[in-house]
Amino acid sequence: MNSVSIFDELDQAIDRLLADPDAATADVRSGIAELMEVVPDLRHLPRADFKTRLMVELEWQTQGRAISAAPAQPAHAAGSYQPGVDLLPTLSGNAKSLYPVRGANFAASVALHAAMFLFVSLGLVMVKSTSRVMEPRVTSAILIHPYIVAGDGGGGGGAGDKVGASKGKAPRFAREQFAPPAVTFIDPLPRLPLEATLIGPPELNVPQAQMGDPLSNLLTLSSGAGVSGIGSGRNNGVGPGDGSGRGPGSGGGTGGNIYPAGNGVSAPRAIYDPEPDYSDEARAAKYQGVVVLALVVRPDGRPTSLRVARSLGMGLDEKALEAVRTWRFEPGRKDGHPVAVQIEVEVDFRLY
Amino acid sequence: MSVVCNLADERVLIEAAQQDPSRFAELYEKNFHRVYAFVARRVRDRDEAEDLTAEVFHEALRNLGRFQWRGAPFAAWLLRIAANTLADRRQRAARNGGISADDPADGEAVPSVQAEAESRAMLYQLVDRLPPDQRLVILRRFVDQKSSREIAQELGRSEGAIKQLQFRALETLRSKMRSHHE
Repeated sequence: MNSVSIFDELDQAIDRLLADPDAATADVRSGIAELMEVVPDLRHLPRADFKTRLMVELEWQTQGRAISAAPAQPAHAAGSYQPGVDLLPTLSGNAKSLYPVRGANFAASVALHAAMFLFVSLGLVMVKSTSRVMEPRVTSAILIHPYIVAGDGGGGGGAGDKVGASKGKAPRFAREQFAPPAVTFIDPLPRLPLEATLIGPPELNVPQAQMGDPLSNLLTLSSGAGVSGIGSGRNNGVGPGDGSGRGPGSGGGTGGNIYPAGNGVSAPRAIYDPEPDYSDEARAAKYQGVVVLALVVRPDGRPTSLRVARSLGMGLDEKALEAVRTWRFEPGRKDGHPVAVQIEVEVDFRLY
Repeated sequence: MSVVCNLADERVLIEAAQQDPSRFAELYEKNFHRVYAFVARRVRDRDEAEDLTAEVFHEALRNLGRFQWRGAPFAAWLLRIAANTLADRRQRAARNGGISADDPADGEAVPSVQAEAESRAMLYQLVDRLPPDQRLVILRRFVDQKSSREIAQELGRSEGAIKQLQFRALETLRSKMRSHHE
């Protein structure tokens, strides 16, 4: 039998023994059987890296001191500490470890870590210093106009008089209006008298302490400067509105019920006031200033009827409106009850 | 005479390691295969053998300061630790799984057991001294349990060449083991 057959026969015998450790090897030739004597013990050979791994573990167990087969060196190799001699042994290349460490590599590593730490710290500082770009705030809650109207209803009128409407009692409300309110009666004894009315539900009951335009302070009789009715408005109503009702607003009914802050009405207070964004255009131009918004805070705390009272431009008005629309207020109160209150809000855009 | 010298050397090594644990590496180098061979024969698989061997050396390192030289080889002390570790493990397994804890061969590092471990340790040391290509084939064949064909594919050689290397390696090991025993 040639040598190739011996190799094959040994290989097959090993295959059988690996598959079944109890398999007999009696059927192989004597030369193979002799070689097979060592095979059972080889089955338990340790892994190639186990010895090294365990050595490293033992090194850790000796609290970081290297396990070395090299002859002992004086003091330093015995792990004794010499004050002031070598505070950073890795830097000086004298550290004891499993692998050699160059001092230059250790120094480079320290420098890189320091640079990284500095870079991250600078980033944090920059983010912190630019995070608050603008500071919008409610600087005042003041009345802009006593009869700026939100809501339905209201009306106005007048007779083209040179003076304002005289103070007096407003007419009652009716479904249809046959005669507009007027202060000056041309015919005191008409053949078919018609009572002046305002358009609105007849059951509408409003305070009627005065005749004529309730806001007028004039003592002389006048229907006011408006057109058809009493007051400065037009269209057969009373007041500054545009309709045949009473008060501000347009159409019939009564408008208003929006109070200025003060005189027993508390000012609303912002309780949720996210900051507006800066417009890209204004940021690029480093443009700063204050946008004043006029708005009504409803009894439920939501802002409504927003308008720009003082414009800044460069997209900042829109940004201010966009932000303030989302604000929520503690509503103003009158006699303990929340009421709609007209206020002004200053939104301050500043670049820091 | 050589035994006396070896024991004297070993005593020096032990005392050095007791004063400086970093010197334990020399004792580890000299006894690793003995302990592993002793343990490997008595457990089911290689993972368990490695686990126990590690436990023995960690224990030995922990208790090195308490070792007292009485003229016996350091290996005997290590094998005693190994036998106790095996016995403890078997007792734990018996409590948990119900297998028999009575195994005198595990509980006592008797001389015949030490001789057997010595012989196997010699074989493992001889494997380490084989030519690199032969050693690699032996490790792949018996540790990884790969076929000659798989080893040939991995190493980019012919299957016949792998079988030849395997044959030569076993021939060398058998020859040296025999000369050692004689």
